[in-house]
Amino acid sequence: MFLQLTLGGLSQGAIYALVALSLTVVYRSTTVVNFGHGDFVMAGAFISYVLVVIAGVAFLPAAVLAVLAMFVLGVLFSRGLIRRVRGGPHIGLALMCIAAGYVLRGIARMVWGREVLPMPRVFDIEPIFIGNLVITGDAVFIIGTVLVLLLTLFGLLAFTDLGKMVQAVYQSPRGARLIGLNVELFDDFSWGVGAALGAIGGILIAPVSLLHPDLGASFLIKGFAAMTLGGFGAPFGAVLGGLILGVAEQYAGAYIDTSLIEITAYLVIVLVLFLRPQGLFGRKAVVKV
Amino acid sequence: MVTHDTPTDPLLTITDLEAGYGKKPILTGASYDVRPGECLTLLGANGSGKSTSLNVICGFVKVTAGSIRYRGTEIAGLAPHRIFRHGIAQVSQARDLFPDLSVEDNLRLGAMRRGGDSAAQTLAGIYERFPRLAERRKQATRTLSGGEQQMVAIGRALMSRPGLLLLDEPSGGLSPQFCEEVAQIIDSLKAEGMTLLMVEQNLNLAFRAADRFIVLRDGKVVDGGDVRAMAGDHDAIVRNIYL
Repeated sequence: MFLQLTLGGLSQGAIYALVALSLTVVYRSTTVVNFGHGDFVMAGAFISYVLVVIAGVAFLPAAVLAVLAMFVLGVLFSRGLIRRVRGGPHIGLALMCIAAGYVLRGIARMVWGREVLPMPRVFDIEPIFIGNLVITGDAVFIIGTVLVLLLTLFGLLAFTDLGKMVQAVYQSPRGARLIGLNVELFDDFSWGVGAALGAIGGILIAPVSLLHPDLGASFLIKGFAAMTLGGFGAPFGAVLGGLILGVAEQYAGAYIDTSLIEITAYLVIVLVLFLRPQGLFGRKAVVKV
Repeated sequence: MVTHDTPTDPLLTITDLEAGYGKKPILTGASYDVRPGECLTLLGANGSGKSTSLNVICGFVKVTAGSIRYRGTEIAGLAPHRIFRHGIAQVSQARDLFPDLSVEDNLRLGAMRRGGDSAAQTLAGIYERFPRLAERRKQATRTLSGGEQQMVAIGRALMSRPGLLLLDEPSGGLSPQFCEEVAQIIDSLKAEGMTLLMVEQNLNLAFRAADRFIVLRDGKVVDGGDVRAMAGDHDAIVRNIYL
């Protein structure tokens, strides 16, 4: 049972990791916490739903199209709205994100109301049996996809010139401008990548869950919890935080009380901020006086 | 409009430049030029517009009036990354390095948008100039001393093979021993024909390194001349700066 719970937790945690990482990508480059990010996740899932169920597109091309659409939406959101309020009070940025998220949610509600929609199952992978452990096709697909995605992303960041430039912008926007980088363009790109990664999270969860216009809210809080646990702004921390959260939910639900699953993320936020505010991989803020 | 410069043309010409932060004007009609191969030092009391001058040239501070021409091309109002591509690099007061990246990554990044064709050769030259950086090439820059970080900042700027190098307080916060090293670095850059525009509070270093100086007060040029012609009369310049 322990291994089964761990596997289920990792599968769920992989989605949280993706959501937390996408929040971190935007936060690192722009220092903006995208409070509307959950709705970007929802939008990605719904675009793939429309393409698969209504337009009859096969799942994989539909997923690619949905991710591309969300990338473009993220870039446009940054260029059109975020750039306008940058340099102003931080609350303006937060409100812009919340408002944009609610607009996306509102559009989904206008079309589908509060209906709960089933996405047809698309993974036809046979479960693997190892003793008592059952590795479902869903888990294989989700963990496999997230793993490939993360390895590609971290590999790009660590070993390519583009990755070094992204890190440069993260670490010192002014320094990046001093070496001729167009920081605003990188910011737009980060919003695009953040929205696309969030959308992948939504698309992966869609076939194994139920879709509804409010599903983003739960992903947002899980993403925040994973970010808090891993350390704000630490990409690897966000991933690890997501995986730990997924597993913790499963253990709490199975060994203590199922109702704990719903509040594990909130408990994690409270405990981490109380015991280790910088999270597992974040740096402690030092204020020189 | 681009004009072809002759050997006697200034590399950089600033005319009636006005700029500031928000509604607060800092430069209020400054005019000066920088000639090829020279080191010009900007002097002045705090708030006179020295560092703002460098930041305006690099595009970090918005120009409200006036002109900045580099090699005959108007660059006032361009974004920092575009100005950099014209060949103007700055070593800023805060250095603005990438703290978690290695020394080598910081240096290589300097050539990613300009000077990339000869990056390997330039990097070798920088390691030759700063052997300490070669020893620490794999180290994260946040672990270096202030002096070593200044070397990285200068090296990073040189990686783009700039036509004009702006130095903002290169000795700021450094030990007297390293100030001497900075002076030697500037000497060697001048010997190689690099054009330098420098802001420096350390007057000994400023007068040692510079060919010419100008004094800014309230955002305008109020004095200037040849450093050698003023030899032995630095007190007069100091009086002009602060009194």
